[in-house]
Amino acid sequence: MKKVRGMRVIEYLLTVLVIVTLNFALPRAMPGDPFLIMSETEEDVVVLTEEQREYYFELYGLDKPITEQYVSYLGDLLRGDLGLSIYYNEDVSTIILRRLPWTLFLVISTVILRTIIGSLLGTISAWCRGNFFDQFLFFNLITISEIPAFITGLLILFVFSAMLGLFPLSGAMSHFTTYESLWEQIVDILHHAFLPIITLTLARLGGIYLLARNSVITVIQKDYLVTARAKGLSKGRILLRHILRNAMLPIVTRTFLSLGSLVGGAILVENVFNYPGLGLLMQEAVNVHDYTLIQGIFLVVALFVLVANLMADLIYKHLDPRIESQEQTTS
Amino acid sequence: MNEDNQYLLEVNGLSVIYGSEDNKLKAVDGLSLQMKEGETIGVIGESGSGKSTLALAIMGLIKGGEIKGEIVYDGHDLVGLSEKELKEFRWQKVALVFQNSLEVLNPVLTIGEQIREPLQTHYDLSKKELEGRVIELLNLVGLNPEWRNHYPHNLSGGMRQRVLLAMALSCDPELLIIDEPTTALDPASKEEILQLLNKLQKRLGFAMLMISHDLGTIKELTSQVMTMYCGQVVEVGLTEKVFKDPLHPYTRGLLNSSPNLFKYKDLWGIEGEVSQGKGCAFSPRCCQSGENCNDSRPSLEYVALERMVACHKGGIEKFLEARDIKKTYRMKGKEVKAVKGVNLEIKSGEVVALVGKSGSGKSTVAHTLVGVKDFDEGEIYYRGKKVEDNWATKMIGGMQIVFQDPSSSISSRLRVLDAIKEPLDIIKWGNQEARKEKVVECLQKVQLPASKEFLDRYCHALSGGQRQRIAIARALVTEPKLLIADEITSSLDPSTQANLLRKLKALQNRAGFAMLYITHDLHLVRKIADKVCVMHGGEIVERGVSFEILENPKHGYTKKLLSNAFRSLI
Repeated sequence: MKKVRGMRVIEYLLTVLVIVTLNFALPRAMPGDPFLIMSETEEDVVVLTEEQREYYFELYGLDKPITEQYVSYLGDLLRGDLGLSIYYNEDVSTIILRRLPWTLFLVISTVILRTIIGSLLGTISAWCRGNFFDQFLFFNLITISEIPAFITGLLILFVFSAMLGLFPLSGAMSHFTTYESLWEQIVDILHHAFLPIITLTLARLGGIYLLARNSVITVIQKDYLVTARAKGLSKGRILLRHILRNAMLPIVTRTFLSLGSLVGGAILVENVFNYPGLGLLMQEAVNVHDYTLIQGIFLVVALFVLVANLMADLIYKHLDPRIESQEQTTS
Repeated sequence: MNEDNQYLLEVNGLSVIYGSEDNKLKAVDGLSLQMKEGETIGVIGESGSGKSTLALAIMGLIKGGEIKGEIVYDGHDLVGLSEKELKEFRWQKVALVFQNSLEVLNPVLTIGEQIREPLQTHYDLSKKELEGRVIELLNLVGLNPEWRNHYPHNLSGGMRQRVLLAMALSCDPELLIIDEPTTALDPASKEEILQLLNKLQKRLGFAMLMISHDLGTIKELTSQVMTMYCGQVVEVGLTEKVFKDPLHPYTRGLLNSSPNLFKYKDLWGIEGEVSQGKGCAFSPRCCQSGENCNDSRPSLEYVALERMVACHKGGIEKFLEARDIKKTYRMKGKEVKAVKGVNLEIKSGEVVALVGKSGSGKSTVAHTLVGVKDFDEGEIYYRGKKVEDNWATKMIGGMQIVFQDPSSSISSRLRVLDAIKEPLDIIKWGNQEARKEKVVECLQKVQLPASKEFLDRYCHALSGGQRQRIAIARALVTEPKLLIADEITSSLDPSTQANLLRKLKALQNRAGFAMLYITHDLHLVRKIADKVCVMHGGEIVERGVSFEILENPKHGYTKKLLSNAFRSLI
């Protein structure tokens, strides 16, 4: 048991190291350099001379050999220092921390919404498997989830914000307003976040729905359901303790594992809705070749996925008593 | 229970049909069953005979199948009730111990919760009372209550069986249906579970419907038994009587396939496949199926008190019946009472061993049965017809005898061919060619050469063992249904003896061939006999099913005989 846990820790550490290394290498493999952009911007007539370029290279340590850069990068990371943004001239960690809550808000709301709605619809579908309602849900949800999120987003934005004017076109909060109460602020934030969250949820609903439907269908056919019926249990108890309790296992795993790709989806949707999260920041950073910022965002997203994985592991172990004994037998 | 209801459970003409219109499968086919309070009934049959479907049908758990007929529980017809209405009966009145597997318990709930669940649903108990009851139940089935916080996969098969039992007993059911309680358990746990079931049934007094293909379990735990084949009941009776004297060939086949009943006997499964036609479903596998067997389904009829059989022939056919045979030899004014009123019964497909020491009258009995010797008193019937004037031995498919001493029973002046062909010549069967073909066939059966050279050889030129085999071949040439074999293998070498007996055994299982096997060799008897009659001083002192006589002899003489024969083994 201890040995297995030890192995797990080593696994996670190795993964972190690989992520960090890739993170270090990828931006440097991109064509061009940040100071080229700075020197080529047409509106700002900040043209850098050769001396200035060299100065900046030295300032950011880009003139040193690659191994030295790597080692100092690792050292900085250990201290929690993600470096200085080249473009914004501000601490990367400060910038990310400012933007991160918005993305987390989007992603977490979406996860909760779509897991609940998807599982519910999937269960209903499985319950009346084969009849019209099941077929209706099946066809529509699969179709919707096949449409890329940004197209759905554009469509929704166009209809609800541009045409009907029900929701704001962009942003996370109304600018230049002072809120009279906390409640007013919350309403404003929800008002802004509503469409992005709906877009993301719609795009991600199909997968969970299908999984829930299959999972419930599988569980319904199990022998222990015959046992439950034989015992004369109530329908509610059978559904909750026997069907859903078992059917939720794969759903939980999938939910946590999909957090990573959900962040990816959020980046696209944030761009469509001009929502000030990490996604929008990333787009800006890529445009200006802001290495340190890009690295910082990548790292945060990667660690986020890793944490999600770890949570899935821990929660699953708690939900499925069979896992623990398997580990016992392997150790 | 209502006073005016005679039965706790009454199933009338129950059919469970699966599949679509053009591909119907009747898992249960017109089954009827009555059960009184506290009764124990066993249901036996091969896998797929519909036993488990019956259990599920009684509980109202059939999914996707059509149900016809009535299931009357305590005056209420359960067929067609909604899930909500069934709730009243499920578990509180009728509970089911499922066939043990990991799948029947919910893998993510503790066993405590799974035992508690029905109590929570059916009774209004406080948390503390529930906990107390769970502990009580686990103690009742002999499982440490500490296990209640564990999950099904933490438990061994035997422990899970106890959990299933505790779960089933939680609401004090009046009827407990138990599906295969001991399969996949090691012998020790199996024995424990059987003891436990026995004890609990006696203490709690619930009626028990026990489904199993393990006949040992059924024998120990039930007072009545029902044999199911293809969804139909083919035999019903008291367990003790059915096991001693099965009347349906299928029941007998099941008994013969059970190593725990006949410990030393050869195992013989039932060959063949199920009939799909309108006739008796068992007829292709039956050793006594006749023409009318394929015309219609036999119905379940009473053949004796508390005994029913579904067979066109009224159960396993009786080949030979001898009543009160008496024979006295008179020599020089001295009377020797050789046979003093012997009754004998041989059924189709049965090997009856007649054992006893020399001079006990065994051979005399054999000779009188086939009419070689007259008898003073008594009657003999072959297939229901009185035996007179040798008609039963003068036919194809009749009775034949093989004498003990081949040198005197086969004329040394005959050639092999003529010696074997003789019975056919007498009854003028077929032409010479056909008769010769038959002779060759029989020679092969007894492992003798069938060359022309051998056929033309004179019998006096053969060894004792060869002449014995010639005698057997001569008996087999008329394809007898019943063979009276008087020490026929004593002069054969072990290998030939084994081969011959296996051939006869195969004939017995396939064609219903029966044999009265007279011998001293109790080791052989233990291997081949279905029934044993022990003869001593002209009387049959003990008779019965071979496993009972050989395992547990009652008569002093039998005990002596057995201890002499098996001393070397003990």
